[in-house]
This record gives sequence, C-alpha cells and structure tokens, in this order.
Amino acid sequence: MITEESRGEAVVRLDGVRKEYGETTALDGVSLEIRAGEAVAVMGPSGCGKSTFLNMIAGLDRPTGGTVVVHGENVGELSEKGLALYRRRRIGMIFQFFNLVDDLSALDNVALAAQLTGTPARQARRRALELFEELGIADRRNAYPAVLSGGERQRVAVARALMNRPALLLADEPTGALDSRAGEQVMDLLLDLNQIGQTLILVTHDAHLARRCAGRMVEFADGRVTGEHTLEPSA
Amino acid sequence: MRAVWRAARAAVRRRRLQTLVIALVTLTSTAALVVALGLLDAASAPFDKAFGKQRGAHVAAAFDPARVSDVELARTARQPGVEAVAGPFAQAAVELPRETMNFGLGTDLTVVGRGDPAGPVGRLDLWAGRWATGPGEVVLNRQSDWTADDLGKKLRVPSGPDLTVVGFAFDLAGTADAWVAPEQIAALHPTATQMLFRFTDASSQDRLRASLAAVTDGLAPGALTASQSYLTLKQQIGSSARAYTPYLMAFGILGIVVAVLIVANVVSGAVISGFRHIGILKALGFTPGQVLAVYLTMISVPAVAGCVLGAVAGNLLARPFFEFVFMGPDAGVFHDSVGIAPWVNVLALLGMPGVCLLAALAPAARAHRLPAARAISAGSAPRAGRALGIQRRLAGSRLPRSVSLGAGLPFARPGRSALTLAAVVLGVTTVTFATGLATSMTRFGEAGRDAYQVTVYVGAYKNGKEIRPTHTDPELESLLRSLPGAEEVTARADIEVRMAGSAQEMMLEGRRGDRPSLDSVLTEGRWMHRSGEIVAGSAFLRHNDLRVGDRVRLEKGDRQETLAIVGEYMHNDRRLVVTDQSTLTALAPQEKPIAYHVKLREGADAAAYARAARAADPGISPDPVGANTVTQTIVGSASVLTVMLAVVASLGVFNTAVLNTRDRRRDLGMLKSIGMTPRQVTAMTVTSMAVLGALGTVVGIPLGMLGHELVVPRMADAVDITLPAYMTDVWQASALLALAPAGVVIAVLGAYIPGRRAARLTVAQVLHNE
Repeated sequence: MITEESRGEAVVRLDGVRKEYGETTALDGVSLEIRAGEAVAVMGPSGCGKSTFLNMIAGLDRPTGGTVVVHGENVGELSEKGLALYRRRRIGMIFQFFNLVDDLSALDNVALAAQLTGTPARQARRRALELFEELGIADRRNAYPAVLSGGERQRVAVARALMNRPALLLADEPTGALDSRAGEQVMDLLLDLNQIGQTLILVTHDAHLARRCAGRMVEFADGRVTGEHTLEPSA
Repeated sequence: MRAVWRAARAAVRRRRLQTLVIALVTLTSTAALVVALGLLDAASAPFDKAFGKQRGAHVAAAFDPARVSDVELARTARQPGVEAVAGPFAQAAVELPRETMNFGLGTDLTVVGRGDPAGPVGRLDLWAGRWATGPGEVVLNRQSDWTADDLGKKLRVPSGPDLTVVGFAFDLAGTADAWVAPEQIAALHPTATQMLFRFTDASSQDRLRASLAAVTDGLAPGALTASQSYLTLKQQIGSSARAYTPYLMAFGILGIVVAVLIVANVVSGAVISGFRHIGILKALGFTPGQVLAVYLTMISVPAVAGCVLGAVAGNLLARPFFEFVFMGPDAGVFHDSVGIAPWVNVLALLGMPGVCLLAALAPAARAHRLPAARAISAGSAPRAGRALGIQRRLAGSRLPRSVSLGAGLPFARPGRSALTLAAVVLGVTTVTFATGLATSMTRFGEAGRDAYQVTVYVGAYKNGKEIRPTHTDPELESLLRSLPGAEEVTARADIEVRMAGSAQEMMLEGRRGDRPSLDSVLTEGRWMHRSGEIVAGSAFLRHNDLRVGDRVRLEKGDRQETLAIVGEYMHNDRRLVVTDQSTLTALAPQEKPIAYHVKLREGADAAAYARAARAADPGISPDPVGANTVTQTIVGSASVLTVMLAVVASLGVFNTAVLNTRDRRRDLGMLKSIGMTPRQVTAMTVTSMAVLGALGTVVGIPLGMLGHELVVPRMADAVDITLPAYMTDVWQASALLALAPAGVVIAVLGAYIPGRRAARLTVAQVLHNE
C-alpha cells in the first residue's frame, strides 16, 4: 500500500523492454511508467504481449533487452532467489484460472504466502482470516478449492495476493473464467482495493472491467504500446 | 494402425524425459534382474551345475588288472542302469619326493593314463597349457583360480621317468592327481584300471552302491578294489560356495522384487500422467482400443530398448562379478564356466517387458473406459484434495512451510507413494542386511588375525631340492624369538591319528609356546590347561556326535591316549582337533613342529621379519599372513550388490519425483509466483521423497535385521561351524544409528535432480501452458 506522500511517484518504470522467444518477439521496446496508487488496464488482442508485459513486472520472466525497474529495483538483474524475494515482498498476482493448491483448504492457500516468508502458522492464519472477512468469504475458509465456486476461488486468490501487503497487485484476466455475476463481484473488489490506495495493473480483454477498475488504459499490439488513454470511472 | 504408430511415436518424442526414465529404469532393473536370477541359478546348486557340466563320474572305480581285462570292463557300459562310462584307464600310484609339495601335490599321487580330457564321463577343464600327448609329459589336476606358473617345470619321479608339466586341468570329481598319455603310463608301473561311471539313478549312496554291484556282478571276485562316490565328494567340495548360497539367494530375491516393483511404478505412473493426452486422442476420434494401443506402444518402445540393453549390461556385469564370487578356493567352478544361464536371459527379455505391459495395462484400461471429457479434465481440472487432514495438520505445524508442504505430497498420490515406499523399504533392507553381513564376515575374518603375522614353515625348496633347517627345534624357536620385532612364538606339529571305533583318520594338532589358542576362536568351554585335554572344531564335534565334556580315545600305531574334550572352537575341518605338544608327543614321541607362528610387536614389518628369518636359516620358509579371501569376496560382492540395488531403488524415487513435479507444474509455478525460492522448491521436492525414505528406514531396518538373523546362521551351518555370539550380535546402537539415514539417503539421491529441475522451472511458461 502507498502513503499520501508517495502517491503519484513512478513505482514501475519500463524502458525499451524487449522479450524474444526464439524467432518470436513478444515485447518490442516497451517503455512505460506506472505511478503509485494508479490502476492501469492493459488491453489488446490475443498474442499482443499483454501477459508477457505483466510477467516482466512480476519477475516471472526476464527481459531480453531493456530494463524493468520496480520500486528502484532492476528486476532483470536479480538472481533467482532475489526474484523470489522480490515477488514475495512487492508483488501480488491474480490469475485467470486462480491457481490454488487443490490439497490445501482455502485458508491454508492464503496463509501459504505468508508462511513462505517464515511467518508462524498461527499468525499467518490469523492474517488470512482477516482478509477472508474483508472479502466476505470467511464462511468458506475451511472449504477446498474443488468445492468453491469460480467467484469464491478468485476471491481466495485475491486474498492470497494481498497476504503480504504487496506494493503492486497484478491481475491477468481476473474475470476471464467467471460468470458475469462473479465477475462483477471481483471487479468491485479490485475497485475497492484501488480506492484505498492499492496500485493495480490489470490485463484484460474486458473493456467494461477496464473502465470500471482502471484510471488509465494502455493498448498493446504486436508487442508494442500503441496507445494510452485516461479513463473516466463508469458508474 | 498407422495412426496408432504415429501418435505413439509423437508421444515418445514429446515425453523425452519420461521415455528416458522408463528406458533407464528398465535397463537398470533388467541388469539387476539378470544378475539376481543368475545368482539364484548359480547359487542354487553350484556343485551340481559344475559336476553336470563336467559330466562328472557318479562313481570312480578302480579294478585289479590281474582279475579283469579291459575288454570285460568296456562291456560294463552296456549294463542296465549305466548311462555312460569312460575308461578303462590304466592307473598308477606314484610316490614322489617331498619337493612336489611345491606343486600343491601330496607325496602319493594317483596318475592316470588318458588320451584326451574330453569324453562321455569326467570331461576335464583344461584351463592352462595343453594335454599330455607324448612321453615325459604330465597334466596336473589344479583348480583354475591357482597360478599356472609351474608350466614347463619337471616332476622328479623316483620310480619312473621325469615328467614335464605341460598343462593344468581341473577335475571336480578328483579322479586323479595327474594324467599322462596312455603310452606313458606303463613306465609308471600301473597297478589298477580306472573306470568312470554315470548311472541313470544316482540319487543316493544306496542306489549308487546297488548300481555298481549290478555292473560288477559278472566280473571275477575281488576285481573291484576301490570306489569313490560323487556324493561323498559333493559334501567335501564347494564349502565356500555353500557358504555363499544363502546370502546370494537373499540378494537375488531382493533384486528381483525391487526390479519388478520399480518397473511397475514407473510404467503405471507414466500412463496415469498421460490421462489428458488420452482424452485428447479420444476427442480426435481414436477408438478406445487404439488409445490402449498407443499407450502400450509408447511404453513398449523405451521398455523393450531398456530391457535389451539391460540384459546386455547384466551379462557384461555378471561375468567379472561371478568370477569374483565363485572362483574362490574350493568353489568347484571351472574357468570360462561362470556366466549367465540362457534361461535367465530368456526370462529377463520376455518377463521384464511383460511386467511393463501388465503395469501399463491396468491404468491404460482405466483410461480406455474413461469418457474423453473426464480423461482431459483428469490432467488439468482441480482435483478433490486427498489426505486433507494430514495437509491441514502439516500446514499448522512449526515446520518451515516448504518442508511441511513436501511432507504432505506423498499422501496426495497414495498408490504411487506406496510403490515407491516399497522400493525404498527393499533398498534399506538390502543395505541393512549387507551391513550386518559385512560386519559378521569382517569379525569372522578378523577373528584371531592379530594372533600372529608370520608363519615360519620348517623346510625350504631351492632348485627342486629340499633344504632342511640348520637349527634344531629348540634352537629354531630361540632364533625366531631373538629376531627383531618378535613378541610371541608358538610351535605347531600335526600327526594323523585314528579315533577308537572309527575307520577314518583324523589330524591331531599339537601346539606349544606363548599362544596355544593361535587364531582359533573358542565358542564353548576353554582352552587346554594340561596334558590329556583337547579342543575340537565345531565340524568335528557335529560329525562325530560329540560334545564338550566327552572323552575320546586316540590311537597312533601301538600307542593310545584317552583325552577329554574341554572346548569347542570355530573350525570347519571335520578331521581336526587341537591339543598341547606334550599330548601329541605322548602319541608320537619323534614328531617335531612343522611350523612356528610368530606374533610381531606393534608396528613391526612382517616382510622384514620374514627376510631376516630366511637369512638366519635357509632351511625355513617364512610366510607373512595374507588377506582373508573368503571374507573379502563376501564383503566385496555384498557391497557391489548393495550399491546396485540402492541405485535401482533411488531410480524408483527419481521417477516418482519426476512424475510428481510434472503433475504439480501448475502448483510449482504458482508457488514460485508467490515467492517460493528455488531452494524452497528443492527442499519441498526432496522432503516429499525423504518422508518415504524415513518410513522406508523404519520398516526396512527391521526387515534387514531379520534377513541377517535368518541367513548368517545358515551360512555358518552350511560350512559346519558355530559362530560365537559376538559375530552374530552386530546390531549395536551405533550400527543402527549409522543405518538410520539409509532410506533418506536413497530418497534424497533420487529426488535431488528432479527437485533442482523443478526449482529452475520458468514460472511464466508453466502458468501460460497450463
């Protein structure tokens, strides 16, 4: 989360970022800044490089060229362990297909993120329960992913992403696998989070989601940024 | 059919690691299976196999040539009950000078005139040089683990021509000490005619006696002067091989079970992990039968390749290994005869792919029945969690989260984990059993090893001539005591005596000096304190039905002594008892020591002492004590087998870890995305297998101990010895503590590489693919 003082500072800075997979260029010289507290929607057709862009910021992949600097850290220069610690401290990720561990209860899925940092189980579960209450799924805390609805699974995934109080919340098609009602609920949740200061980068095909949750839209095509628009929040 | 082949080929190409794992596991398992079955085959009846290979004589009979002609003897081949005969061969009893002891021969030799080493009965193993074809040539009976250095040397025969050693042959049945060409035997004054018989029924001594009686029925009375049955030999020969049998059997069985388990695990795991692919094939229009065929083909390609290569590797490995194991003293095995029996290769080459197909068939048949949509979703949709209670408890534990997550993983795939656990259990059982065996054998081999370091034999040979010591017995003892490094000297003499009431000769060994116990290990009673007491070997007591406390009457010529058995010591010679020098002298007053055993001071050089002794008296032969080859062989072969089975068990773990990390790629990607470090990923993967390793230890160690308890006493029984308790009680706390990590080590070795691989997964790629 950000403070009033830090609001408006660039927390993410991409400068001439390239990513190539063999002969295929996924990102072709992308330069972009994202400020603290912003909600940015990244849109574009399939294969335009949106997810690759998100992966670069999340430290899930390394750029072939250019620099990705997040909170002053050059992500491309971090070691594997450094990247893991960076993801742990700075990043919260939400995936289209939730990516919950089937063998763990909803609560343990969320607590897991904190436990990896060495937080004791009891303390991690307490923090997870607070998040479950905030997100309105406290009654489902002991359920396993297989018995949760899509919307509930995504809320659990959001709770997990927020567990370590990340500076950046990255969401890759967060409503893509949900029905419209569940999608609305998740949109509301992301909007609320941004309104209390959470920096949010959202990759989506859904213009309605982008308009509701984001203040700025970045358009991608063929691995390049082709346009940027400021969005007015929709009712 | 083409579609099936193309789909299977594509699947093999796409799953390179899995294909490699199946090939590697079947290769290693088949190699282990070949060695294990080969061991079982070789160990099941070493004497019978060797004897069968030589078509050994069931009865070697000697006839008086004055009472029966060669023509009459040749006619015996046609008697009912006779399977085959060899002979008649002229046989001479030749007395040689003492120098022939250097050739490993006694002074009374049975020499037979024989045209060639082959024949329908008693095919000799001519392992060095050539057969004696002309005058002045001789072939000596010597086992092939000996040296052939004596080739070309001359045997001086006082009553006949000198003979040059032109070859060495081994005859398990011991029908002669040496062979010459038929034209040469007349010069050695033959006194008997030898016939070698094989009978259709040779199952018991009575049958053999009856068969021989039937054969000789029509001959002149007194024509048969002596006969030797192979059943007597069978008991005498191959005591080392008999000692190996129980432990080789145990290793053989362990090897087979481990190999089959691992292959079943690998193959069934490969099919289960391919459910999604099966669903896609069905969606494309493949019939259930075609899907089954694709999967069986996909598994068969690497499995058959692995089996063929494994069989080749097993045969290559078995040869030096079997030579190492079976060529020991008295093993009764011939050169070029150790190897894998053909049936072993046939069974391995047909059986192992069969096991693979069976293992693949069960899960493939399950996939065959699954609707396409369910098969597809089996690979990607969220599964209802398994072993949830365990996961929940682990999540709340104080363990680092990567460790607690790993500890819960084996419970998510209980079937796969159970097979892996079984392999680890057997791996630990093998390690435990081998450790116990090695400890027992080392203690056996080391027993009394510090009793003396040099044996000084009375008499020496130079240029074929015997040299007698220049010193008398007391002078020699003083001399040996006075040489630098000597601490204790014990003299040893032996004589042949007869026990009253028994027709058999026995050896009485008299000891005098600092350490009358020498290297013998007492298992009951005590050592002699005074004249008139003896200590007997376990084999002697068993075969004469005697016990400590009994008295025996020994006779030598016209002298007799009644002696009390005061102790039992560990020895497998049925003819040997030990007493003090004064008791021996009472029976044979002129008998002098034949050897002196010298214990050296700590740090003294045995070779230097031997050189000094030789320099002090050229009429003695000092001999530093060598290594114990039987112990070395058993410990060495047990180590090889243990490493092999532990590697196979580790491969089983490796496979499970590979399959688990593949199945959990999505989870791994997600865990890395929320900040799990590469080290934590490795720790989680290794922990998941280490749990099985720890469970394997808990079960495997008691099983290994049980195996040791069962096998070691049988090994001792096989060679007629009683082991003292300290040789069998090997499971001290320190030994068990040392074994405790065995299962975890096997598991960690198998899981480390897949763990590292999982740690290096590119998260973006994994999550994108999923």
